[in-house]
Amino acid sequence: MKKTWLRDYIIRRLLYAIIIAWGILTVTFVLVRIGPTSPADKYLANLAARGQDAAQVIAAVEARYGLDQPIYAQYLNYIGNLVQGDWGWSFSTSMPVIELIQTHWIYSFQLILLSSIFAGIIGILIGIYSAVRQYSRTDYIATFFSFIGISIPNFWLGVMLILLFAVQFGLFKTYYDTSLPLFSLANLKQLILPVITLGTGMLAGYTRYTRSAMLDNLRKEFVRTARAKGLPERTVIGKHVFRNAILPLITIIMFDLGSIVFGGAYLTEIVFGIPGLGRISFNAIFADDYAVVVAITLIAAFLILMINLITDITYTYLDPRIRYD
Amino acid sequence: MTKLKILAFFLVAMSLLACSCQLAKEASGVFISGTSSGDAETLNWILAADSASFGYAGHTVDSLVAYDNEWDIQLRCAARDVEVSEDGLVYTVTIRNDLRWSDGSPVTAEDYVYTLENLMFSDWLNYPYKSDWQEEVDGETVFITAEVVDETTFSLTRRTVDTEFVYNVRTLAPYPKYIAVKYEGDVKAFTEAPEFNNLTYTGNLGPYKFLEWVRNDKFVLERNPEYYLAKDVGAPYFEQYTIKIFGTAATLHAALEAGDITYTGIDPEKMGKFREMDWLNVYTVPTRSYLLLAYNQRDNGWVGLKQREVRQALSMAIDKELIVEQVLYGFGEPAFSFIPKPSPWYMDEGLAKYGVGSLLDKEAAQERLLELGYAVKRDDGNIEVRDEEGRPLKLTLVTNAGNEVNEDVCHLIKEELAAIGIEVELKFVPWATELRKYMMNKIPGTDQEPRYNNGVGAVSEEPWDMLVILFNTHPLSPSGSDVFYSTKGGLNFWGFFNSQVDGLFRQAKSKEALDEEVRREVYAGLSVLMSEEQPVNFLAFQLANVGFQSNVRGLEPGINMGYNYHLWYFE
Repeated sequence: MKKTWLRDYIIRRLLYAIIIAWGILTVTFVLVRIGPTSPADKYLANLAARGQDAAQVIAAVEARYGLDQPIYAQYLNYIGNLVQGDWGWSFSTSMPVIELIQTHWIYSFQLILLSSIFAGIIGILIGIYSAVRQYSRTDYIATFFSFIGISIPNFWLGVMLILLFAVQFGLFKTYYDTSLPLFSLANLKQLILPVITLGTGMLAGYTRYTRSAMLDNLRKEFVRTARAKGLPERTVIGKHVFRNAILPLITIIMFDLGSIVFGGAYLTEIVFGIPGLGRISFNAIFADDYAVVVAITLIAAFLILMINLITDITYTYLDPRIRYD
Repeated sequence: MTKLKILAFFLVAMSLLACSCQLAKEASGVFISGTSSGDAETLNWILAADSASFGYAGHTVDSLVAYDNEWDIQLRCAARDVEVSEDGLVYTVTIRNDLRWSDGSPVTAEDYVYTLENLMFSDWLNYPYKSDWQEEVDGETVFITAEVVDETTFSLTRRTVDTEFVYNVRTLAPYPKYIAVKYEGDVKAFTEAPEFNNLTYTGNLGPYKFLEWVRNDKFVLERNPEYYLAKDVGAPYFEQYTIKIFGTAATLHAALEAGDITYTGIDPEKMGKFREMDWLNVYTVPTRSYLLLAYNQRDNGWVGLKQREVRQALSMAIDKELIVEQVLYGFGEPAFSFIPKPSPWYMDEGLAKYGVGSLLDKEAAQERLLELGYAVKRDDGNIEVRDEEGRPLKLTLVTNAGNEVNEDVCHLIKEELAAIGIEVELKFVPWATELRKYMMNKIPGTDQEPRYNNGVGAVSEEPWDMLVILFNTHPLSPSGSDVFYSTKGGLNFWGFFNSQVDGLFRQAKSKEALDEEVRREVYAGLSVLMSEEQPVNFLAFQLANVGFQSNVRGLEPGINMGYNYHLWYFE
């Protein structure tokens, strides 16, 4: 029975996702083109230095990439190509957009995945411990460091970690080396500092959220009942309290994931020289590389929609009372 | 017998010496050049308009010649220097006969001529720098003519004399005709051509061969053992040459300090720290860049700026040595002309040195403004600077946001002008905004396309009075700066129109200036005139700082220190 309504729900949400993604694509496509700047703007300084007629060069560059055509013609052309799997040509990196994304997504993915695991596991464990030992010295210390973790800008933290552990102690390289195999210990090692940089803020946040959610549930009647039944404290905390506390946590973690995919990870990528999608998209925005901007916005939108869907589905498994009709 | 022994000993000793030299210079290691100035856009360099793209491709394909630090010619693909006919119209280029494409076929004069005629001059490809190869003939813009003379010789013919066109010719690099013909006429196919985007055609034309390019991360080259110029001595001596892109200057500097990269530029304020590191060699070298303060002489700038004497007065109030010391941390020199000191055409004699010595005088500046009617003298003897309507003078100073040096210069100028009673409003705007709203101009009420110089009567969208910017002058061909300072100059956005200056720029390119002595005199006159006219306040020439790991050998610090980089090696 559950399978049927859940399948229908997923199909419906997927259809919505496609419609929303198409809407976002259209809006982005138009917005990037009606802005006051041109992809040729970045050449102007160099052209000025070489004494060229900038207007002529801008016209030439725009003609080369079909940007001199009316927007609707460019749009129809783009959609037609997209349907056939052609995401366009990135003129700021001189390669097909799909190839660019295929090459670079893994760098962001590994960083985000490892940071989330690092922050999720440690943050939740500390949060649980803090809640169970409320107002203990450990709780105060955890609270203190959580606030520090939330307050530190990850850009600053990254540079400090590099100066300390890479420059002073020589334990790591100062930058991410893409020549190392992805699935190797050496790669894992070089991700330690970036993961700490990106994960610290998340970890601190998860600690606070977990503590708060756990404390809420610890005060509930069912906990008293469980304890009165003589259940071991570990079972009470692990099975009863944590299971109820995890629902809001899942929402927060998933929301976090969505926001760091193309946002928070960017600064960490910049500091450590990781050529991930955050860096690619940032450069594309500044280079007015329309094809890349549109593609990455589309992927980001679709990913966030999918994350929301997965979150909703996860709820139904964590709390069988939840159903979407 | 003894003689034989001595001879044998001598031969053995020489052989050992030769071996040890060879050993010291065996190809080894990876040279990593760090940069934070952004990635290239394409390796298909004929499409590129950014300098990084030319830089990347330049490792694999040499131009005709290079210049050493004294601007002496070093032959590269050219077998001898470009020959210029006596009338200055015909340029004959002879290339080496041992240049090869990757398929083993020879690089010929035909490839060069094809690159010019069928690619650079074509309508379909939209080569961004085509105007380098154009001239004005009877009011019409036409291309020069390129012709094959024989297998290794081609000629370029102009119809008008341009004394400095030869410097353009020397930068030429070829595309392989046998590949390019496949894509001719189809800009999309040419743009996406794998041979050009992966530099698979470069043969023995450069010291390195393309290996890998991870966008926004690194560009990796491997040693080209067939390199025509140095294979006899075993050069180049690095197994790999990598350009590593960093997102921030802080991490770039950290990488140099930690020894993770071999070389990078160093910000002036960090020089003290880096000089103390004994594992690094740090050099300060001249550049061709100069900071300037543009005075808006168009109708939407303060009217006083149209007067030479007013511009002189303002320049007299701004201390250039203070800018060098406080903003450039001593790594610069006051500038008085657009020609940089390392240029063979630089002349110091007769320059009006506003902003230093006797021409740095704030009181005299106020007095001059008083004489011109832009100030009033109070009863206590103090002078108050006023605008044409008698109100306290307030000027707007613009620069691009995020450029620390420019912003610091603006702050300093604000203080300097405040000292003579001029209030300065600073506007730090994004680069694109600066270009489009402050620099580009058009005649109001017309449907003109905005350009950097739409002539008399044209004004920018936003009003401004002064603007800080960084320009370059090619030390060998300063006449290229006519785009900034001549009446018809395409980049004369501040609206400086002076027929005497126009005439001297024309003269510098004219037939009579083929005689270098004549040209030297013209440039000397032009420099003096410009220093007096103050179309802009030439603020300071910048010096660059570079740091290398101390085991790099073969370096010749100077303005063109990379010219012999194929001979650098690790100790």
